[in-house]
Amino acid sequence: MANENKNSSSLRLYIFVFFSVVLLALSVWIVWDDEFGLRPWKKFQTEYKTLKHDKLEKDYRRAVVEFERSGGHRKLAELESKLDRAEGVFKSKENQEKYAKLNNQMEAAHEALTKSQKELRDLRGQFLEIEYYYTKTQKPDYKAKMDVLQRSIDTVALRVAAQQKAEDTIKGSLSALTSVTVGIRSEIAKMKNGLEEKKDKITSSDKVPVEIKQIHIADVDKADRCQSCHIGIDGKSQISGKQPFTRHPASFIYLDHHDPAKFGCTFCHRGQGRATTTAEKAHGNVKHWDEPMLQGDMTQTSCLNCHGDIKGLRGAEKIIKSTELIKKYGCYSCHKIPGYETVGDVGPVLTQVGTKVNYSWAISWLMDPKKYFSTARMPKFYFTQDQAESIADYLFSMSGTTRHDVDNTKSKPDAKLIEQGKALWAQSRCNLCHITGGRGGNNVKVYAPDLSKVGSKVNKEWMFKWIKDPNVYFPGTKMPRFRFTDEEINGLVAYITTEYQDEEAEYKYVQPVEIKAASIAKGKDLIQKYGCYGCHKLQGMEDMVQVAPSLRKQGVSFLRNNEMREKIGMELSSIGSKPVDMLDFGKLKSSIPNDRLSYIKQKLRDPRGYRLGLRMPNFRLAESEINELAAVLYGFTDSSVPTRFLVPSRQELDRMAGVPSYKFTGDFAKVIADVKCTNCHAIRGIGADYAPDISYAGSKLQEGWIRNFLANPDMIRPLLQQMPKFGLTSGKPQAKVTMPRFNLGKQKVEDTNKTDVDVVINFFQQELLSSDIPKEIPKINTIGLPEQIAKGKQLYDLKGCRACHQIGTDGGALGPNLTNVGNRLTQGFIFKHLENARKFKADIVEPNYGFTEPERIYLTNYLMTLKLNAK
Amino acid sequence: MKSLPEITDKVKKNLIWKSVFRRDYRNTVRDRAQAVFGNVFLHLHPVQVRESAVKLRFTWGMGGITLLAFIILVITGVVLMFYYHPSIDQAYTDIKDLEFQVPFGVILRNLHRWGAHFMVIVVMIHMFRVFMTGSYKAPRQFNWGVGVILLVLTFLLSFTGYLTPWDQLGFWAITVGTNMGAATPLLGYQGPFSEYLHITPYNDVRFALLGGAQVGGNALLRSYIWHCVAIPLVATILMMVHFWRVRKDGGISKPQK
Repeated sequence: MANENKNSSSLRLYIFVFFSVVLLALSVWIVWDDEFGLRPWKKFQTEYKTLKHDKLEKDYRRAVVEFERSGGHRKLAELESKLDRAEGVFKSKENQEKYAKLNNQMEAAHEALTKSQKELRDLRGQFLEIEYYYTKTQKPDYKAKMDVLQRSIDTVALRVAAQQKAEDTIKGSLSALTSVTVGIRSEIAKMKNGLEEKKDKITSSDKVPVEIKQIHIADVDKADRCQSCHIGIDGKSQISGKQPFTRHPASFIYLDHHDPAKFGCTFCHRGQGRATTTAEKAHGNVKHWDEPMLQGDMTQTSCLNCHGDIKGLRGAEKIIKSTELIKKYGCYSCHKIPGYETVGDVGPVLTQVGTKVNYSWAISWLMDPKKYFSTARMPKFYFTQDQAESIADYLFSMSGTTRHDVDNTKSKPDAKLIEQGKALWAQSRCNLCHITGGRGGNNVKVYAPDLSKVGSKVNKEWMFKWIKDPNVYFPGTKMPRFRFTDEEINGLVAYITTEYQDEEAEYKYVQPVEIKAASIAKGKDLIQKYGCYGCHKLQGMEDMVQVAPSLRKQGVSFLRNNEMREKIGMELSSIGSKPVDMLDFGKLKSSIPNDRLSYIKQKLRDPRGYRLGLRMPNFRLAESEINELAAVLYGFTDSSVPTRFLVPSRQELDRMAGVPSYKFTGDFAKVIADVKCTNCHAIRGIGADYAPDISYAGSKLQEGWIRNFLANPDMIRPLLQQMPKFGLTSGKPQAKVTMPRFNLGKQKVEDTNKTDVDVVINFFQQELLSSDIPKEIPKINTIGLPEQIAKGKQLYDLKGCRACHQIGTDGGALGPNLTNVGNRLTQGFIFKHLENARKFKADIVEPNYGFTEPERIYLTNYLMTLKLNAK
Repeated sequence: MKSLPEITDKVKKNLIWKSVFRRDYRNTVRDRAQAVFGNVFLHLHPVQVRESAVKLRFTWGMGGITLLAFIILVITGVVLMFYYHPSIDQAYTDIKDLEFQVPFGVILRNLHRWGAHFMVIVVMIHMFRVFMTGSYKAPRQFNWGVGVILLVLTFLLSFTGYLTPWDQLGFWAITVGTNMGAATPLLGYQGPFSEYLHITPYNDVRFALLGGAQVGGNALLRSYIWHCVAIPLVATILMMVHFWRVRKDGGISKPQK
């Protein structure tokens, strides 16, 4: 019994010892882990300090070597001996006496001055007091007192000024006495300073404590600790290219405009700014953290958080390009996306489509648009033959026609007519927008249809009417009215319908058949279900915006604009910050990564893949387009950005200020509605960037030149060649293009007597003016005009203008040709352009030479003499 | 140089020492008993325990371990309160800071979280043991009742603590939990017969729990106060009664012969 007791008590002891050791080990581990294991940034900061120390030391040594090589020591010794001599002079008895005397005088003068100043202050105080009583009581005694005081103030003020002057004089003679030694001393200090500074840098950088670095943005309680590891991210110079020590790439764009101390990191990069224990946690690549860090180009999606208008924003090139895809595919037609409320329909009007296209073509197109053209923008809805026929039936019946095809090849037009049409096709630069046979279509942003097979698609009568006036069939189309004669149009139609036939058309031309009512009803249902009216204007559905799923069950199919709640698709305004838990991965839950970006990409890749019953059509985007579009959608967030960060767009600013946005008015509005200048040109913020911005053309260009140019663009335009792109910026290099001839001047504008050319010129002269560009340049009377012109020519040669500009056959082709500049530009524009070219075009390559005003006058006068065929 | 006894003498023979320790301790039965009677903490502890009652295989020591867990939770909980704001803007980030920045924050929070789970499990095993050994029978019926209330309080502590990190888990747990409250007969607006009492979502028991009609800042504040002040206070009082009754009802129950 006793033995057993002894055994069990020693076993207890062993257990006790065992657990004590375990507890001790655990405690040690907890302390170690808290100090080092959970704080890996300490290691990084120490390493960074070593790297920085090494670099600074190297700099210092180099500076020392440089100092010695340039004979710094010798110079220093010379200076020091010079200083000794100067001090010897200064310390001579005579000088010392003088110095002491001056110092005494200075002291006395300063004392007197201080006393007077105090007296003045007191008097002014008294004056204010009396003035207060006087204004309160209006008693004349106070007035009298005030006058007395004012008089004494004046005298004392005079005294103060005199004393101040006296003091300054003494100060001057004092400094004259010491100036030599002071000068030498400062020179010595300057020589030593460079080295001392470098040495100080080393010690001060060594003294930087190893600690958590945090940016706290108080109003949103954001704490970004990224810099604890990325210690050199906002450094002035690169210490190491290794992560996490590197500097921010292109920091002159990003960090210079977004001070890290104010913006932090996670507004743009997302990730988990508070986390510091591992890179995975900090970068947010962990489960249950919805915002993984954005890296590289993807980060540009964050520009959309604050910048209302990213057009032309430096450093946002990728996202600008990607944003264009929203317009290209018309996402806003079905989804509510803020900022796209007023963008027009992405598809053509279908109200009279039955009179335009062949029935067979319509079926083929509805079933698979890419079969007709690989570049087709319309998505695939996976309609069956039966469904496609029903939809076409609805559309054709609404146009008042039957199922029918027109075979354009039946009657062959005569060859001469075709020849004329071909010439007109080339002259009118149709290929500027339209692609045929894989060529043309440089002005991509108008998304003009590919015409390679149009002869098998539309009928001749329609095409004639279309070219004659596109606005009749499709109000608001981008197609301009070219003001052709009927004869010319006949030629064009003949050329297009014979030249651009679909060689591989599989469909047969069907004979007219009556349409069954049941099929029409079915077609209408399908159109309602898939929301075709989101992109196309349809007869009988002009103001329909959405199909509300919850209301459909109760028999309400359509909502009118004023009842509109939401569009057919999900609202996308905050898709980029939608909690991942709320995304329905459905069937693909286990086969794709469960994060937001993967969800968006997969949705774009296969819109109906997540579950049954989804209606979104397949746009069959290229993988690169998917990535770009996903990047944009990822930027649509409702994240709480402090309002002080927001950069509203120009329109928003105008709206806030109550300024109506710019609108074309009067007769010019009629011309522009016809000719669609803004397809290529931008005027006052409206329009495209394909051709030069002509907002200030009235100030810039001479009237005669504009008139000439509009009448015959081919003649003058080649002088202004496009600048080669050198592959420096993104985007396709633009081919050498010329403006189409719109045949202006032949017709009068509706309801007026004026020809359209006059209207355009008038508008340019009246409206497109800049207050920055003077009509006349300053004159120099001292020198004669011929002499000024000669001086201008001298300057032109001296500054090497011919390296880029061409006059006649002499000079480079980088800048515009100046052979005829005297006829083209106004003198005011040239004068201002020479002052600061970037003022008119931000991305211009012309350097700023810093010309003086007379120089600019000479140059302007010289350039104005350059006229090609001066009459 | 003074000798050790001299120093001890100096330390002990003054007013401060005497005011704290009333008399010297000698290792006698009387003094041992005195030490227990005179100590507030050991007061609850029995002077004598039957050997059979402390057999681990009978009691499993679960009651004691529950108390240990409770003490750990109180200590870590109080320290955690220094780093926590019960507001919806800061609660979650405070937890993140505990995880990443506060010295020993990780061990502190994990001790509290795991300790809470541990206590819930242990308290249930304790109840199971008491039931299986029939220790709820006379004369311990009252203490069984107190124990049941303590079990509910433990669950409530766990439930209210769940919302405090203000994460998705807690948010939805409280949403679901309080929605169940809304289905209470008479008192919940979705419960049966509630219409006779004119109960709406704005005056029912769920509203009282949340301080509003949905989980928000008020719900967080309420659960914080229940968790940190109100329930621990009641639980402590009931625990005192619980232990006291263990003594009075004849000590820890022992196996029947």
